[in-house]
Amino acid sequence: MGVLELIQSLEGHKGRVWNVCWHPSGETLASCGEDKSIRIWMHDKSKWVIKSILLEGHSRTIREVSWSPCGNYIASCSFDATVAIWDQKSGQFECNTTLEGHENEVKSISWSASGQLLATCSRDKSVWVWEVTDDDYECAAVINAHTQDVKKVRWHPEKDILASASYDDTVKIFKEDTSSSDFICVATLASHTSTVWSLSFDKTGNRLVTCSDDQTLKIWHQYEPGNEMGIPTPDNEPVWKCVCTLSGYHSRTVYDVDWCKLTGLIVTSCGDDVIRVFREEDDSDVHQPTFSLVCKLDNAHTQDVNCSQWNPVTPGLIASCSDDGTVKLWSYSD
Amino acid sequence: MASRFSGALQLTTLDDFITPSQECIKPVEIKKNKVKTGTKIKIQDDGTYTEVLEGGPTTKLEKVEITLADCLACSGCITSAESVLVTQQSQEELLKVFKEKMDKQKAGESNFKHIVVSLSIQPILSLAERYKLSPDETALKLSGYFKSMGADVVLDMTVAEDFSLIESAKEFVERYKASKEGSKNQLPMLASSCPGWVCYAEKTHGNFILPYIGVTKSPQQIMGSLVKYHFADLKGLSPEQLYHITLMPCYDKKLEASREDFYNSLKETRDVDCVITAIEIEQMLTQQGKELNDFDEAEIDKPFQEQDQENSTILLGHKGSGSGGYANFIFEYAAKNLFQLPNAKLELKSLRNPDFQEATLEKDGEILLRFAVANGFRNIQNLVQKLKRGKSPYDYVEVMACPIGCLNGGAQIRSQDGAQPRELAAKLENEYHKLPHSDPELNPTVQKLYKSWLDSENSDKAQSFFHTQYHEIEKMNPSISIKW
Repeated sequence: MGVLELIQSLEGHKGRVWNVCWHPSGETLASCGEDKSIRIWMHDKSKWVIKSILLEGHSRTIREVSWSPCGNYIASCSFDATVAIWDQKSGQFECNTTLEGHENEVKSISWSASGQLLATCSRDKSVWVWEVTDDDYECAAVINAHTQDVKKVRWHPEKDILASASYDDTVKIFKEDTSSSDFICVATLASHTSTVWSLSFDKTGNRLVTCSDDQTLKIWHQYEPGNEMGIPTPDNEPVWKCVCTLSGYHSRTVYDVDWCKLTGLIVTSCGDDVIRVFREEDDSDVHQPTFSLVCKLDNAHTQDVNCSQWNPVTPGLIASCSDDGTVKLWSYSD
Repeated sequence: MASRFSGALQLTTLDDFITPSQECIKPVEIKKNKVKTGTKIKIQDDGTYTEVLEGGPTTKLEKVEITLADCLACSGCITSAESVLVTQQSQEELLKVFKEKMDKQKAGESNFKHIVVSLSIQPILSLAERYKLSPDETALKLSGYFKSMGADVVLDMTVAEDFSLIESAKEFVERYKASKEGSKNQLPMLASSCPGWVCYAEKTHGNFILPYIGVTKSPQQIMGSLVKYHFADLKGLSPEQLYHITLMPCYDKKLEASREDFYNSLKETRDVDCVITAIEIEQMLTQQGKELNDFDEAEIDKPFQEQDQENSTILLGHKGSGSGGYANFIFEYAAKNLFQLPNAKLELKSLRNPDFQEATLEKDGEILLRFAVANGFRNIQNLVQKLKRGKSPYDYVEVMACPIGCLNGGAQIRSQDGAQPRELAAKLENEYHKLPHSDPELNPTVQKLYKSWLDSENSDKAQSFFHTQYHEIEKMNPSISIKW
């Protein structure tokens, strides 16, 4: 069994903390929450300290923050229906662009690997793709594919392929249709029996892990046309199959999941205040993989854990946040 | 089922956890009787609710009905409007009206409604593709189909389209001049013929965008005025004695027909009583086990034309886009009337995506006019954001809520062979451009109607029949919504 060791608890947010995001360098962490602030934390000699507090970008709760792949921008989305883009051209972070268009609460935000596309999703059931050129943001697509609130958007680790998770219990995959340069839904992943709260690609982008209100995790495998398994691919589009369901581990809604690109470990954030880590077994068959729970930390937080994210540079380093108002840093070791 | 509304109308402002049937937030007026206590409400086996008074009588409770007008006046969802539309402007309603008329006629009664059908070009092309007929054949077969059900008159809408183009172009020239004299909020003028776009602007952007939208009515509503207030006159009928049906490429047109602005409360009649779409015609035919080809051809009536006018062409198109060619006509008209450049051509270039195109009018290296065509919701967003940031360089924008425009309207028939919407629309566009063009300024029927119906081109009558207005809809915050 692995061990999760608390490195430090970061206090400062007032009210629940919704989301944390590591800077691509792994040296800085951004967090956001109900207090409408974004807090930026850095490691200073022996401990993590607050570096800056970003205020006045949003008028309601900030649901998610995301560092751009170049590390120069922070995008934040809020229940005030807007998206804010923060840059530090003046030396400190300032919000210089606000993206409007969603009808109501924006739930999630994600930069594509190239940094040239930004995706957002909302309670208005739509997924939007914004095209970024210099500091100009143009709406490239408004996709009305989901029938309910969309909870999460995440880009493929390399390609311009987008995945979204929704209250309609499905995950959808989108890619650009070259003739119209519009994004279209190319796959619907249906198997969860309740809201899909979050998802994460593995480092290849060929697999996805999703987590749900149905208290399960599901692993999905992408089968390309002409795959060796002979799985049919209608319209010459890759097909996503659910190849593994992890049930019986979580006792409440699983709010977030992150698949580590360095170690292949999966960390989950759950409404039962527990952080869990799963490892794929060594003899696992990719078409029928097996995962085992390698760490379960009870009372990691005193309330719902909203988000946990692996550090992109330091293996085993996790940041988590919770309704209890704290951000916590953990070190995982086997 | 895919929605037949344009994408712009599919976004809602409602709560997360409420499904469409529950999501209406319109407060309901409750008629209060005398104060009663101790009543119980029972649900009967058939699902109806009855009120049981203490010790006795039961009364069946009435269901609260939300009308389409309620929906349009509300800042909430638009999806519940869909179910309302189904009852008020449905195929069933249409068939009922036809049947009533035929029954009354058979019984020798004279108080039946005269039924007029107006055909727009986009659904004709859609049906032509579906039934492998030429556009002209399709129009004649449609006329035969409607007349077999009891329609008295079947009209094509070229004259209304021509009026809409001319009036829009005149409005643009006036706005341009006013803008040069320092008047604010004149330019860019934004197209007014797409009800999906207009409805979205009213609900979401209110008084910021509305002043820019042209006040010229869409062809459908000009046709409505023409049929109810001129054709009726010619026939010696009152507007309410006519039932006017239009054939359109999208459901949004049903919303437009239902606007209070197009309702005559004195006569209790709408300019357009019922909007039917290509996809619904296909369904009606399928239900009867028929194809359009099974019907005899009947002529398209031309009640407004001079007797001696050449009558060889059946359908006409317009230069420019398949959405009616607004940018094209206004561009050429403005070049001629504002800059004395009679041979200007609108040459559109795609920007980041093929649904946002731009063209300029230049003279001696100077840009005189900058036009754009913005189709689909994403480009409406980009346009609105440009306007909000004061970065719109345009004088006129043809805005349509559907990607590709009206030929790809939400209620056009989907491809039979699995082709992408864009391929199908390209096919229809090709057919559209093969049609002989109408030149609105040279259309003798237009000139005749300006005189015989409207007294003159700029009369008050012309103003009122050709122009409309928009209404900001204030956002309601339902009390149940929780603010984090």
